[in-house]
Amino acid sequence: MATAAAASSAERGVLEEEFKWLLKEEVHSVLKQLQDILKEASRRFTIPTGTADGATKQENFVLGSSSTDQVKGVLTLQGDTLCQAEVNLKVSRTSQVLHFAFREDKQWKMQQIQDARNHVNQAIYLLTNRGENYNFQTGSEVLKLMDAVMLQLTRARNRLTTPATMTLPEVATSGLTKMFSPAPPSDVLLNFYVNVNKLCLLVYQLHALQPNSTKNFRPSGSSVLHNPGAMFELNNQRFEVSHVHKVECIVPWLNDALVFFTVSLQLCQQLKDKISIFSSYWNFRPY
Amino acid sequence: MKNTTQAVVLWGNRAPAHSITAMMITEDQKTIVTGSLEGQICLWHLSMEMKITSKAILFGHTAAVTCLAKARDFEKQPYVVSGAENGEMCVWNVNTGHCIQNVKLPYRHTAICYYHCSFRMTGEGWLLCCGHYQDVLIVDAKTLQVLHSFKSQSSDWISCMCIVHSTRIQEDSLVAISAAGDLKVWDLSSSVNSIQEKQIVYETESQNLEMANYCSVRFCTYTERLLLVICSTSWKVYDYCDFSLLCTDVCKDSQRFAGGEFLAANRLIIWTQDGHSYIYQLLNSGLSKSLCPGEGGLLKETITPHLLCSTSVMEKSFSCTMAFMNQRKEPFYKILYSGNSSGRLHFWHVPDVPVSQFDGSPVEIPVKVTITLQEMFDRHKSMSEGIIDHLCTPSEGVKLATVTASLYIPSLDKLVCGCEDGNIVITFALHAARARLLRDHPLLRGSLPHKIFGGHDCSVTSLLYPHARSEKFDPSWLISGDQNSSIIWRDVFTGEIFHKFILQAGAILKLLVPPTDYKVKLFQSIYCVCSDNSVALLNLQERLCFFHARKHLFPVKTLRWHPVEEALVVGCEDDSVYVWEIETGTLERHETGDMAKAILMACEDFTIETTDSIVNTSHETQRNTRTTFKSSNSYKLGNLSHNLIHSEKSSNKIVDSSYSLNPFTFLPVRSKYNISLHLLLFDLEQVLELLQSSQASGLKSANSFHSYDALKTAKSSSEKRPLTLKRNKTAGSLYQMDGPTSDIVVKEIITRPLEEIGGIKRHKKFKSTKKNKTQMSGKIDVNMVMDAAKLLLSCLLPWGIDKELDNFCVKHLDILKLQGSVTFGLISDVDHLCLMLPGWNQVSNDTVGNFSHNLLSKKVIELSTKYSLVAQKQKNKNDQLENHISAMLGLETLLHFLKKLLCVSKTLRMDGSKCTQSGSSFEKIESLRGKWKSSEHFTSSFPPFTTDVLHGKLSK
Repeated sequence: MATAAAASSAERGVLEEEFKWLLKEEVHSVLKQLQDILKEASRRFTIPTGTADGATKQENFVLGSSSTDQVKGVLTLQGDTLCQAEVNLKVSRTSQVLHFAFREDKQWKMQQIQDARNHVNQAIYLLTNRGENYNFQTGSEVLKLMDAVMLQLTRARNRLTTPATMTLPEVATSGLTKMFSPAPPSDVLLNFYVNVNKLCLLVYQLHALQPNSTKNFRPSGSSVLHNPGAMFELNNQRFEVSHVHKVECIVPWLNDALVFFTVSLQLCQQLKDKISIFSSYWNFRPY
Repeated sequence: MKNTTQAVVLWGNRAPAHSITAMMITEDQKTIVTGSLEGQICLWHLSMEMKITSKAILFGHTAAVTCLAKARDFEKQPYVVSGAENGEMCVWNVNTGHCIQNVKLPYRHTAICYYHCSFRMTGEGWLLCCGHYQDVLIVDAKTLQVLHSFKSQSSDWISCMCIVHSTRIQEDSLVAISAAGDLKVWDLSSSVNSIQEKQIVYETESQNLEMANYCSVRFCTYTERLLLVICSTSWKVYDYCDFSLLCTDVCKDSQRFAGGEFLAANRLIIWTQDGHSYIYQLLNSGLSKSLCPGEGGLLKETITPHLLCSTSVMEKSFSCTMAFMNQRKEPFYKILYSGNSSGRLHFWHVPDVPVSQFDGSPVEIPVKVTITLQEMFDRHKSMSEGIIDHLCTPSEGVKLATVTASLYIPSLDKLVCGCEDGNIVITFALHAARARLLRDHPLLRGSLPHKIFGGHDCSVTSLLYPHARSEKFDPSWLISGDQNSSIIWRDVFTGEIFHKFILQAGAILKLLVPPTDYKVKLFQSIYCVCSDNSVALLNLQERLCFFHARKHLFPVKTLRWHPVEEALVVGCEDDSVYVWEIETGTLERHETGDMAKAILMACEDFTIETTDSIVNTSHETQRNTRTTFKSSNSYKLGNLSHNLIHSEKSSNKIVDSSYSLNPFTFLPVRSKYNISLHLLLFDLEQVLELLQSSQASGLKSANSFHSYDALKTAKSSSEKRPLTLKRNKTAGSLYQMDGPTSDIVVKEIITRPLEEIGGIKRHKKFKSTKKNKTQMSGKIDVNMVMDAAKLLLSCLLPWGIDKELDNFCVKHLDILKLQGSVTFGLISDVDHLCLMLPGWNQVSNDTVGNFSHNLLSKKVIELSTKYSLVAQKQKNKNDQLENHISAMLGLETLLHFLKKLLCVSKTLRMDGSKCTQSGSSFEKIESLRGKWKSSEHFTSSFPPFTTDVLHGKLSK
């Protein structure tokens, strides 16, 4: 015990110097790096934040699927909003092709993208508050800041990677059907969502169950994708899903953003690790 | 849930970390509420002279508190709602510390506004919430369920909002600013009906403000005209009627605005994130209609902000939450307050009419009062001492180091403390508690049996008593890990070191026991989680590190194991999963996203417990007494102990049974947030049961004395006399039958010198094998339970009011005086808990004199005068009794006390909706009585109880 203490007194001095350097120099360089990455990520969402250069550019995506060719569509994405959508649905029964598109005056917000963008902006805001000239006094300050930033980034990432689960009545009343003109037939339900780097469209074809049908009615729960056979009740009318079509398109910048999130999360954790290494040498009270 | 657990808190000398993230003052300016990054809420008392004392700390949230707001009309019910980072919401009674309602919604709030419109609304009103989700949610203030939401044409997160209430406009409206910088206005009062009918309500106005990062919006209630909008780089004043810009100012370099408020007409206060504030006078009231933002030149001349005063803080802080309390009524102050991330509170008293100096330069308003929790702890030493500081007498001169890890072994009643200097101190928990709480006692000081084991050369970070989790481990084993990555396996009784493992993986954060159905090869093995995010599996038998999983990039969150493939599944904080093959120690797969979730789900049932909660343990002990098995998987209090302490939940039923024999539990609480405290939990019901059963089985003689005594007092009540006589006869006969033998037993138990008990008990434990331990436990328990019960009563009795009464208790009942005030805990439900903080007793000093340190309220004084009368009579009686009889009576009285306590606690639980019981039950009744309209029902139920207590005493 005594020898350990004696040997470490000189060592301690060096370590303390190193820790000071870490707080003064290294932390800021990591924060700068983080800011750059996140700003790049935020730019991917092409949102005119404050002084940025005006209008967001529109991108067109063609929806497709390897398994089905019954649904085809073209989407126009502007930042977090779907401003145009054209969907062609081939009804297999009648081989009739239904065509519907967004009304001119309507836009559909992709909540997942909006949330992810807001989370990133929150993280950037947290980082910019501790600019170059800010002096970190303790390691715990850095840890707290990193925790806060990481929380936002994890949420941003999770928002894109985990689509919301919805019940079928929720899908039916989401208001998406009101967006179209001509309105899709009442036995068709639509749902847009983001899954990792893909923008997906689900088209459910329904058939109404007779009130006196012998079929055992069991309403299905919440799910991202409901399989054929799922049942639900809406306005005292019971429905069953007969067909499900899923078409998707890859949005490249969503992939970029996710990579940026992962990289910055790792950077944050590395900085945290660097700070907490010093806790092993003396009792500096991380919290 | 019935809950008869009484909690007493033993604080350490370090205050819990409290990085303030949210702050408010209640409308009566008596209570300050602060929410912290650590998830706790602190209640402070603000006196009329602006003195601040800490009152209580509320546990319940498992993530950082993000916002606080009042949840009711404060004059009727002192309720405050808190929102946490992970979507938890709680309504607390800030006078008593009860959790009234709690819920977990998938919404993270940043601001909550309480809105009630008495003539249009039924129920308790609405909580309007905004945060990291689209638009504004309407939450019912009573049930905390989402009622509806205010929709918007272009939905976005709302970053700040305020309720505009104006008599001129005759309409309450909600003004909010979205993340993209759109100012939106919803009608409130006129849309109450449509909200109740679940119709969609859109905003009535929307305007883009061309900036982002808005942090506050305020309406001037004095002119009912101005709207103050603050974003991080500038603040602006708009005309609420036509939204024309009247005035704007940008902030200085390196500062960022955080909020603001109107002080008076045309006077406003703006504060920054680093804790500075500025008071401006808007000159020449720029309200003239002719001016519009287009004619910029004119505007600037007429309405310019003039800096009158400023406040500043010395220390530079990471971030501050500030707010301003404006009260126009006389006894109240205009208070500017702030709390920062190091837990420091600052208060400024803003003068009613702030003026600048004669030369026009701004005046600096000095800080009126500033405080931290640590200062409160330092000021009240008696309530914040280390748990083992009492072990050594001052003459020995050895100061024990700070406790860094502690562990309670219920089956041995031992408290194991790991210290900063690497020593491990083992003592008896009850004794440590007694020494800590009770006033100097010749039998207690200096002679406490304790052992100090060395072995570690730096601070001990984790402790494990594996037998408590699985009986395949020897009951004498103790495992400890330290900062330097070494793990020592030793004998808890002798201190002999069996083996020392050295891992080279940073500090040992956790020591865990694998589930019992593990394969035979890994028979006696333990897991350790290290600070370099690695997991090691140590085999005790073969004394080697079986395998060491080192690939994890993020801290380990969950450990599960796959029963078929013999694989260890490690879940990390970034939601990725690593699957390790135990046999070969190779990494089988690394998954993220959905696949990771699926893997974790698949092994749901094979979790190696890593989480724990305080109240869960108390719940656990309760569950054992009732033998009903509830599947409550709530480890919600986790934040406090989040992931760091090992689960008290025993996977083994045999160990459980030894638990249930313990009506007294000693719970060390430590977490990554540096909270170190010990909770004493007394299960009243069980104490009573155990005492009674011991009385029934071995102590019949006590009964006989009781009835002997009853015979004397029965004279007054002539009707009952024959009955009592009869009972006396039977008791008497019993006494003759087994009296002589049991008498000796009892006498021995009662009069055995205190310090001997420990020694004997340990001696017995040493010899005892597993089988005869259960047989012996009955006898041991009587001592322990008695001591525990006495300790509890010591904490509850109103010392210092009546000297004779005190003497009586000390002499005859063996209930000793307290060393200082006691801090109680108050358990609202499984994971909501209120712990009093050092300094709570000063709160009542405003009204009650400072003559007693354990005064709960005035009611106690009244009670105690009655009580002392009774005690007087009893004392007279006692004089007539012989010595050993008084010892018997001691047990009787003790039992009686406890019975009444239990009774009061149960009734309180029944009557007071969710009211729970703590030591300060009387205080609570009083506070409830004041607040509730149906107080008659309370007052009527209350006196019978007190009189019952008194009569009960009389009957002896």
